[in-house]
Amino acid sequence: MIHTIVYGFTIGAILYFIAIGLSLTFGMMRVINFAHTLTYTLGVYMLVSLGALFKGYFVIAAMIAVVVVIPISYLIERCIIRRLYGESLDHTFIATFAIALIGVDTIKWIWGVLPYPLSDPIGEYLTIGGLTLPIYRIVIVMIAILLFIGLEFFFRKSIVGKIVVAALEDRDGVGCLGIDVDHYFSIVFMMGSALAALGGVLYAPISSVHPYMGLSILLLCFAVVIVGGMGNLRGTFVSALALGMIMAVTARYWSQGAETMVFIVMAIVLIFRPIDI
Amino acid sequence: MRERELIALLVIAGGFLLITPVLSVNRVTDFMIFCIFAMSFDLLYGYMGRLSFGHLLFLGTGAYCSGLFLKYISRNPMLAIIVGILVAGLLGMLIGLIIVRTTGACFALINLAFNHIGFFLVLSPLRRITNGEDGFGIHALPFGFLNFSSRTTMYWFVLICLVLVFYLLKRVTSSPFGILIRSIKEDETRVKFLGYNTFFYKWVTFVLAGSVAGLAGTLTALNYNYVNPNVMDVHGNVGAVFACLIGGAGSLYGAVVGGVSYMVISNYLPIYIQRWEMFLGFALLMIIFRFQKGIWGYLQSVWEYVERKKTVMKAIGVGAVKR
Repeated sequence: MIHTIVYGFTIGAILYFIAIGLSLTFGMMRVINFAHTLTYTLGVYMLVSLGALFKGYFVIAAMIAVVVVIPISYLIERCIIRRLYGESLDHTFIATFAIALIGVDTIKWIWGVLPYPLSDPIGEYLTIGGLTLPIYRIVIVMIAILLFIGLEFFFRKSIVGKIVVAALEDRDGVGCLGIDVDHYFSIVFMMGSALAALGGVLYAPISSVHPYMGLSILLLCFAVVIVGGMGNLRGTFVSALALGMIMAVTARYWSQGAETMVFIVMAIVLIFRPIDI
Repeated sequence: MRERELIALLVIAGGFLLITPVLSVNRVTDFMIFCIFAMSFDLLYGYMGRLSFGHLLFLGTGAYCSGLFLKYISRNPMLAIIVGILVAGLLGMLIGLIIVRTTGACFALINLAFNHIGFFLVLSPLRRITNGEDGFGIHALPFGFLNFSSRTTMYWFVLICLVLVFYLLKRVTSSPFGILIRSIKEDETRVKFLGYNTFFYKWVTFVLAGSVAGLAGTLTALNYNYVNPNVMDVHGNVGAVFACLIGGAGSLYGAVVGGVSYMVISNYLPIYIQRWEMFLGFALLMIIFRFQKGIWGYLQSVWEYVERKKTVMKAIGVGAVKR
């Protein structure tokens, strides 16, 4: 059972990394960002290439992979998503989906369709009172908690964070103060993309790497964002951990049903608390 | 009005008959089934303004129900078609109660969630009867003179179905009910203020779209004599969205034109270009940024321009005579 709980926290942490960007983009700019799959997958493939380059130095490869994604996400934001503000939600949805299609096809072009194997970079186990737990998973959970605390500080204390929180509340109001909201949005977008890449990089060694890996996890992250509330940062954290736990517990008893369970929870939440968008 | 409708139906049937020798009977049958599906999607997206990312659920339900009916209960193809449509409609009634409460992105995502659940159900828990990933073959007995294993019969049958569905949806969308749906797309709050129960109208539209998609599903099953979970794969929904957009959302002609265009692109492009998904992505971006009205909308605006020019010329001509 302890194993299941640790696994649940790991999946929850990964979902949190990816969902935070989605939640911010949606809350601030009313853009449902399907292109998030692209940054996530791209981070993983960068790791695959860099991992071969820096043999044995997983941390360095992972950091470079995350950093490489940032300029690409800036390009996506600058060239395409910035033109879509104020358009109807359907159009942004379709346009970002188109970006994801293009990106996934590019990845297939460069790296091929075959899955890559990646192994656990630490590969050691921690034994506490007869329980053996992979250290790597514990590290992921630690990083997620640190990130949560860091983001809380960022949004409470720093001026950028404060502006972002205010814009989540009332975008026009912030604009009326003479602040260029689009500029801050671009920062938030890059941050979200980098976090998605980080999530991908951390998750890749314990899952499989293939060009369409982003799509299924993105659906889970949409569920997280809807359950947690769009643009609600703490809600995202809580719902990510809760849904991760639900997935782990379901998988323990009925392994194929794990993902579906998340969607059932999402449907129940939507029935009782529909979101007006 | 009656005459114009008849002409429209004849033009559509004639168009499909014309492209048959160029392509092939099998391909055109596929195209027509996809067009039926695209029209049902257009009813939701183009007319009611609700983007669904899980409409294949109904197609899959129709295909699986008629397939299972043919396999386990009776081998009468007509009954199977009716069962497929009815079950898809019933499913629409049930989940429609939940789904139509939402709008915008929520609507798209909750549809996606249900599609995912359906895909999972046929893949894993119902494996014993649906045979999981491998799918199952079906064999329908002839019904009267309709022998569904013959390609030509299937072709004519699907063509008749397409024309009937087009007629039905045309009548529905040009009736007061259709006008109401379109006003819900424009501004639902105002329609509510006028005293209409918008929930009911949205629900009826959702069920209708689901049943038509179910018909497309039963035809798919009969056409291939084979059903597997790919018929309701979540990723296939992009096709319907793309078809509606390229043809022009909010018009049944647009859905038919878009459906044919999409099928031509997805069938023939991969032969010449390996990176056709990338092409699709760029085409979608182009449509969103430049041609939001699609092919049919573009043709319509050209037509209107010509008409206006004609009336202007006439007015000038009349003025000249008077002078």
